[in-house]
This record gives sequence, C-alpha cells and structure tokens, in this order.
Amino acid sequence: MFSKRMKEDLVGILYILPFGIIWLIFSAWPTIYGFVISLYDWNPLKGSKFLGFGNYIYLFTHNRFWNSLFRTLEFAGIFIILTLLLALSFAFLLYFFPKSKTRTFSESFLFFPYLLNVSVIALIWKWLLDPDFGLITYYISSILGKAPRFLNSIFWAVPAIALASAWWLSGYRTTIFLTALETVPKELVESAKIDGAGTWIIMWKILFPLIRPQFLFSLVLTTISGFTALGQVMIMTDGGPGNASEVLALYLYRLGFQYFDMGKAAAAGSVLVVIMFVLTLVGMKILGLGGEIE
Amino acid sequence: MKNLLYRIILIVVSIIWMIPILWMIDTAFKPTPHIFTIPPKWISPSYTLEHFYHLIEKWPMGQWFINSTIIAGLSTIISIILAIPAAFSFARLRWRGRDILFIIFLITMLAPWQVNIIPLYFIMNSFKLLNTHISVILPIIAMSISVFLLRQFFVTIPKDIEESAKIDGCSSFQILIKIIIPMSLPAIAALGIYIFIFAWNEYTWSLVALQRTKMFTIPIGLKAIQGAYDIDYGLLMMAAFLATLPVLVVFLILRKRIMEGMSWSGTIR
Repeated sequence: MFSKRMKEDLVGILYILPFGIIWLIFSAWPTIYGFVISLYDWNPLKGSKFLGFGNYIYLFTHNRFWNSLFRTLEFAGIFIILTLLLALSFAFLLYFFPKSKTRTFSESFLFFPYLLNVSVIALIWKWLLDPDFGLITYYISSILGKAPRFLNSIFWAVPAIALASAWWLSGYRTTIFLTALETVPKELVESAKIDGAGTWIIMWKILFPLIRPQFLFSLVLTTISGFTALGQVMIMTDGGPGNASEVLALYLYRLGFQYFDMGKAAAAGSVLVVIMFVLTLVGMKILGLGGEIE
Repeated sequence: MKNLLYRIILIVVSIIWMIPILWMIDTAFKPTPHIFTIPPKWISPSYTLEHFYHLIEKWPMGQWFINSTIIAGLSTIISIILAIPAAFSFARLRWRGRDILFIIFLITMLAPWQVNIIPLYFIMNSFKLLNTHISVILPIIAMSISVFLLRQFFVTIPKDIEESAKIDGCSSFQILIKIIIPMSLPAIAALGIYIFIFAWNEYTWSLVALQRTKMFTIPIGLKAIQGAYDIDYGLLMMAAFLATLPVLVVFLILRKRIMEGMSWSGTIR
C-alpha cells in the first residue's frame, strides 16, 4: 500500500512525465552531453580521445576565438541597448497617445517586422545597405556626401547587423512594454500630474519602476537572442569582411560543420552557456529582481 | 498644437519603420534594370512578374511553405498538449522535489538551445532522425519556457474554485479538464501563438538538421537561394516577399489576437 504522501508524489510526477521525458532527452541532456563532448577530441568514426580541458585551452589561446567573443559582445551590446531603448521610447510614445485608429495602426506597423523570419530581414537589410545601390547608402551619401560601405566595412559590419536585428525585434518588446504600462492604474499618473510632475518624471519615477519585471524578462530574452544570433550574420556578411563580424555562434557553427571539429565546437557552446548564466544572474542581481520569478 | 506635433511624430516613425518592407515589395516587382538605378526610384515605369516565374522555376517555395507549416503547426499542438499537465503539476499539485525540479527547469530555460546544435546533432543521428521534420520539432517542444509561461498563468487562478470542486469529489484530472483548462484558454492560445512564431522562424538548428532541399523550411530555403544568387536582388526580394505574404495575410486577419498573445507572454512575472 502507498501512503497518501507517496501517492501525491506519484500523481505529481505522472503529470510532468510526458513533457519531462522529452525535456530530459532533447533539452537537459544536450547541455550536459555538450559539455562531455567538449572534453574530447571527438571523432565518432575513428574513436574519440579524452583531452580534458584541451579544447578550452585551444580556444583560449587562439585569436579567432577571442575575436568572435569580442564581436559577440559588441553585437549583443549594441543590439540589446538599441532594441530596449527603441522599444521603451515607442511604448511611452504610444502610451501617452490617446487610444485611436492612428495609435492602433502605429502599434501594428511597429510590431509587424517581428513576424518576418530572420532570413527575410537579413535579405532586406543587405539590400538596403548595398554599397552601390542600397536605399540607405544612397540617402546617407546624399546627406553626408559619402556613405560607409556598411557590410563591407570592418568598423560598420557589426553595428549594421545589430541595427537590422533591433528593427526586427523591438516592435515585439514595444508591445510587451505597452501592455505592461496599460495595467498601471490611471489614477497614479493623474495624481502625479496634479502634483505637477512632468512627463519625464512620470515616465522614469512612476511608470518605469512598475514595469521593471517585464523589462527584466525582456532583457533576459533579448540577451539570449543577442548572444546566439546567427542567421542574420550568415546572410548579411557571412562573418566578413575577414572575420570582422564572426560572432561566437558563427564560429561555433564553422568549427562543427565546416571544420568538423565537434569537440572544439562543443567547447565554444559551453562557453556561451556559461556566459548566459553569469549575465542573467548578474542582471537579476543588479536589477534587484531575483525573487520576481516566483 | 502639441497634440498635432505628437500625432505627426507617431505617424512619421511608423512609416519610417515600414520602409524596409515597402522597399522589399517594390523591388520584388521591378524589372531588373529599374532595380539598380541611382538615385533609387520608388515608382518604377513598369512592373513585372519575371522574378516570380524565375524563382518558382528553380526553387520549391511551395514545398518549403508546407514544411514550415507542418513544423510550426505540429510544434504548437504537441507543445500545448505536453505543457498543460506539466504546468498544472508545478502550479497546483504538491509533491516532493517539485520546487527543485522547477528551478532546474528554469535554468535550462536560460541555456539557449541553439548552442546545443553539436550534441543535438549526435543525439538525432543516433535516433536516425536527421533530415526529418521530427528532428526540428523535438527540441522546440522540449523548451521549458512553454511550461514556465503556462505555470505562471495557472498559479494566478484562485484556489477556492479548486477547493470546492475537491469537496464535490473531483479528481485532480477532472479539475484540470473542467476548471483549469477552460479558465486558461486565452493563455493557452497565447502560448500557441508564441510557439508557432518561434518554430516558424527557427533557423540555427534547422540549418544543421535539414540537409535535403526538399526538406527545407522557409528561412533555410531563403539562405540557399541567397547563396546561389548573391546579387539578384529582384529575385531575392521576390523570395522574401513570398515568405512574408502568408504572414501578412494571417496578421491582417488575426492582428488583435496575435498582438495580445505575444504581449501576454512577456507580461507575466
């Protein structure tokens, strides 16, 4: 006979089980298995050789890895700041605008790019930034006299891809922030106005603190997409010029599927996972929202 | 006066935001000589379907659509079916180890599965699943974010309703089916939209898992087209336009639902 307690445990686990099995095999195990692979000179045909941290030492002593790490940080930094800044500005802009047809249209226009897939946005922006016939290149050169060759430039390649990515994703964040703002009681804003608070004060001292949980959630998800960006980089520059836009995800992909060095690729993957954990923990600590997940 | 200025800013920003999409559509229908001009011309003297014919002659765009729809559709349905009982267990049932397991779930949520492509490649290979649509669906339905999102909604449902059902002799399964699910339909729909869009856009893992052109999804297909014609922007923009068209149509019909669903997924704490 089962005790009541054991029966409860069993029922609880039974409900988890269908998802749990799939999760275990295709989500939890790959992360652990990836770490295992990263310790080997992995070769399924000839037999793998245990290396310990050899693959990590290889990565840490090679410029190409450091370059990709630096490019990833550069890309993620620009992308995250641009995306969240644009999204917050749009959300406030829409929030203070009275509900109307104009507002609904704007909201939809700003949101729509999010529904395009990564290849579409990459192709569009590659065309917009084309050094000879690109629309943006043309307008900039007609204003400034001369436009940089964005995607062929060591300096501009990463910021240009980050800009395209921010255009793609900030509308979604806008919608999230706006929905959060709408749940703030109107009386709070009204009474602040009566007390003589300006728009700026209302935005930063009253509204922003109240949507911090959504801001944190967006920050985490945006950080993840910033650090794992691959499609737009592959299509817009394929890591070039030289290795000027070879982000970690692209380097990982090349190590694994162009050089077939799975051990080193897995090591690069594990480094990326560790970075994500550290960043998320630090982010939560700084924003003081560690308890909000519960 | 201030109001008018405000309105103008909003309209201008929205239009600027749409320029890339309008320019894509414009380019897709321009004859090649009118695409490459300086200064760029928004209105072309003539429009053409040449890029469309050229494209569908060479590439199975229709097949890619079907593939993407199958992958996104199945991912959505299976994800919902699996996530509901798991989220219910985490939110409403008491059992030993529940909280620890939930924390482990949260941790795997932070490890983006795109970085798992190397181990996934070997795992799928050992199941003989590479180059099948199932290999793309499985990691998507294994994402713990689906359980997390639903659980966050389930915990907000008041306990009293459940208590009175228990007194009436309802089992936990009946509570789930008769109370929790009907009360959570908007959240379930929102999760569905979230997963569908995620799967529809998935790139990194599909690129590794799907190698035969016939099996490609739209994002991978577009990459293949781009690799073949680097500078034929008329053709590339037509491909991008065709990839966007169904999304645009669905968005025009379900705009409100989609935006509500997407905003909900970020509004939970």
